[in-house]
Amino acid sequence: MPTPFIMPKMDMDQEVVTIIEWLKKEGEKITKGEPVVTVETDKITSDIEAPETGTLVGILYHENEEAPVTKVVAYILAEGESLSELPGSQENSQESLKPELAASAHASATTNLRATPVAEKMAASMNIDLAGVQTKGDRITKSDIEKFLAAPQTLPGGKVTATPAARRMSKENEIDLEGISGSGPRGRIQSIDVVNASTSFAQVSTPHTAPTPVKAANLVAGSSIPLVGKRKRIAERLTASYQNSPHIYLTVEVDMSRAEESRQRMNKLNEKTGKSSISVTAYLAKLVAWNLKRHPYLNASIVEDRIEFWEDVNLGIATAVSDGLVVPVIHQADQLGLAEINEQMRYLAKQARDGVLTREEVDGGTFTISNLGMFGIKSFTAIINPPQTGILAVGTTIRTPVVVDENDTIEVRPMMSMTLSVDHRIVDGAVAAQFLADLVRVIENPDMIIY
Amino acid sequence: MPEITYREAIRDAMVIEMRRDNTVFLMGEDIGTYGGAFGVSAGMLDEFGPERILETPISELAIVGAATGAAMVGMKPIAEMMFMDFILLALEPLMNQAAKARYMFGGKATVPMVVRMAGGSGTGAAAQHSQSLENILMTIPGIKVVAPSNPHDAKGLLISAIRDPNPVCFIEHKLLYKVKGEVPEGEYTLPLGVAEVKREGTDLTVVTSGIMVNKTLTVAEKLASEGISVEVIDPRTLRPLDTDTINASVKKTGKLLVVHEATKIGGWAGEVFAAVCESDAFDYLDAPMRRLAGKDCPIPYNRLMEAAAVPQEVDIEAEIRAIVSNAY
Repeated sequence: MPTPFIMPKMDMDQEVVTIIEWLKKEGEKITKGEPVVTVETDKITSDIEAPETGTLVGILYHENEEAPVTKVVAYILAEGESLSELPGSQENSQESLKPELAASAHASATTNLRATPVAEKMAASMNIDLAGVQTKGDRITKSDIEKFLAAPQTLPGGKVTATPAARRMSKENEIDLEGISGSGPRGRIQSIDVVNASTSFAQVSTPHTAPTPVKAANLVAGSSIPLVGKRKRIAERLTASYQNSPHIYLTVEVDMSRAEESRQRMNKLNEKTGKSSISVTAYLAKLVAWNLKRHPYLNASIVEDRIEFWEDVNLGIATAVSDGLVVPVIHQADQLGLAEINEQMRYLAKQARDGVLTREEVDGGTFTISNLGMFGIKSFTAIINPPQTGILAVGTTIRTPVVVDENDTIEVRPMMSMTLSVDHRIVDGAVAAQFLADLVRVIENPDMIIY
Repeated sequence: MPEITYREAIRDAMVIEMRRDNTVFLMGEDIGTYGGAFGVSAGMLDEFGPERILETPISELAIVGAATGAAMVGMKPIAEMMFMDFILLALEPLMNQAAKARYMFGGKATVPMVVRMAGGSGTGAAAQHSQSLENILMTIPGIKVVAPSNPHDAKGLLISAIRDPNPVCFIEHKLLYKVKGEVPEGEYTLPLGVAEVKREGTDLTVVTSGIMVNKTLTVAEKLASEGISVEVIDPRTLRPLDTDTINASVKKTGKLLVVHEATKIGGWAGEVFAAVCESDAFDYLDAPMRRLAGKDCPIPYNRLMEAAAVPQEVDIEAEIRAIVSNAY
C-alpha cells in the first residue's frame, strides 16, 4: 500500500497551506526526514519533511496551489509498490482522492492522446507535453501547438517560465512570479517584469522602506500586482476575523509619567552596564502580560463550541516588515522579566526584518499588542488576530494638559491612548473595561506589579 | 605613440627579448632569408645570425620536439608554425612532452617555450590552412593559450609568453598581421590570464577573441548610436580563462553572447557558458546565452563560402539585435 503524504496542520485555526515549491519532483526518491515541499501559511514559510522513505508520486497539489491540511497531498511508494494499489473504496482512509489522480494513476496505461505527426514532431522537438495542449478536434494539430506556444507558458508542475535573473529578483523582493505577465518570448518573465511588479508593490505597501528600484524609470502607470502568497493570507485572515468575530472597541487615556520615569531610570542603569535600552513596547508588554494573567477571558480562545482559557500568556507583537505584517510571539511573557521581554522583542524584530522567523517564533500567540506610536498615531483600532480574543492598539504619547485632582488643577502630563479590540462573543464590554481599568492602574503605578 | 602593424609588434617583442636574453631564439620554416611566410621575422636574420634565427626542415614534429628539448636544458625557444593547422603534426611533443614535463619531473624541469602559429580563415587558403584550432589547444592541461587581438596586446603578451616558464601557444590571426595600432616603444608586458574589457556597456556582454574582437567592436560602435550598449570582453588568454571578469560583466548585463571563429561544437564558448552557470552569475542571466561560432564544416576554398563559414560583422550585428530584443 502506498503511504499517504499528509499535509500537517501547523496552526490551530489553519485550514490550507500554499504550496510554494516541491523540492522533490514526481518520481523522485525521498528519504524519511528530508525536506520535500516548501509551503507557506499566513505566518511563515516552512519545509515539510518526508514521513517515509520511498518514491514521491501522485502529487495532487502543484506549486502556487492551495492544499488542505490534514489531507493527502501526494503518496510515497516503497520498493515494488504502485499507485494502482490504492483501494477504490475509502474504507481505511478518510482522505478522498482528487479525481485527477484517479485518472492520472492509470493514464499511462490507457492514454489516448492523439496528435498529427507534425504536431507530435513539434512537441518532441520543443519538449512540449501534449497532455497540456488543448484541441477542439479529436487530434492535436500544428495550429493547436502554435496556440499553446503563444500563450503564457507554465512548465510541468505549474512552474512559470522565467529567466534566472527574474527568479533571483522575485526571491529578493519576495514577489510571487505567478501572475506577473512576462514580456519575453512565449510569455517568459524577464527581470524587467519583476522590476515593474516590485516597483508598484513597494509603492503600494511599504512607503517607509521601499527598496530602491533597480530601474525606477520603468514603472508602468496603472500596473498591478497579484494578491498572492503572504499578502493573500493576510487579506483572507483579517477579513475572516472581521466577519466572524464581532469586535467591540474601548479606548482609554493613560498617564505615562511614572512608567516613563521608571523606564528612563532603568535605561540610565542599562547605559552604565552597556545593556540595550528598554523600549516602550517592551515595558507595556510586561504590564499587559501581568494584567492578562488576572483577566482570563482576555487570554482565551473559542475552540469549536467551547471557550478555552490559556495557561500561558503568549504575547504577539505586530511587526511591520517590508512585504507586510508578521506577529512574532513572546512565549510565557507572564513569567519573564522586563529585560528578558525586551531582549526577546529585539531578537524577534530582527528575525522578522530578516524574514527568518521560525514557526515556533510565530505560533501560539494568545493576545497581541500593536504599537503605532512611533509613527505619531494618536489612536487607532486593530483587528483581532484569530483565534485570540483581544488586541491592544497603542498610540503615541503626547504631552497634554490634564486635570490631576479634585481642585481642578491642570498639569501637563505625557498621555498615551490605547484602544482595546475584543471579540464580543467571549468578552463583554464590562469585562474588557475592567481589564483596561486595571491596565491603566498598573501603567500609572508600575510598582503595583510587586503588589 | 607610434602606430605599427600587428606583424611589426610581434617582431618587436621577439627582437627585444632576443637582445635582452641570449637564450631566446627563433626556429621555424622559411623564417630566415625569406622572413617567414607572413613576413613576421623579416630582417631578424641580419641582426641575430643563423644560429638564433634557426631555419628548420619541413617537420613540425621536429620543430616542436627540438624546441621542447632546448627549453628543458635552459633555452627559451620561440617555435613558429607557418600555419596553425600544422600543429596537429606536433601534438605529440606539445601535448605529451612539453605540457607534462614540469609536472612529471616534479618541477625540476620547466619548458619555457613559445609556439607561435598563424591561424584563422579569410585568405583563401582553404580547409588545411585556415583553421582555428584553439578549441583543441585549450583542452591541454599544462600549456597556456594566448590569442591577441591587436598590435598593442600582441607585443605585451608575447614578451610575457617568452618569459613564462610554461609552454605557451601564441595564436596570431592571419588577417590581423597588417592591422595597425598604437604600440609603445621598448619593453612592456601584459599579464597572461587577465581579460580586458575592450568596451564597456550595459545591455549585453560579448566575449570574443582574436579578429572577432575587432569585428564586434565595429558593430558595438554602430549599435551605440541606436542606444544599444554592448560590453566587449577580450579574454586575451584563452587558457587560463579569466572567468571572473566575464562573470562580473554577465552580472551587470544579464545577457551573454560568445563569438569565436573556431567551430561551434565543442567550442570554447561552451566553456564560457559553463563558467557562468557554475558561478553566481547564473542568477543574473536574463536571456538564454548564445554563441556565434564557425560553422561545423571545413573552411571552404571559395571566398564567398569561406566568409559565410565564420561570423562576419553582419552576423554579429543581427545576433546582438536578436538577443537585446528578446527574440530568444
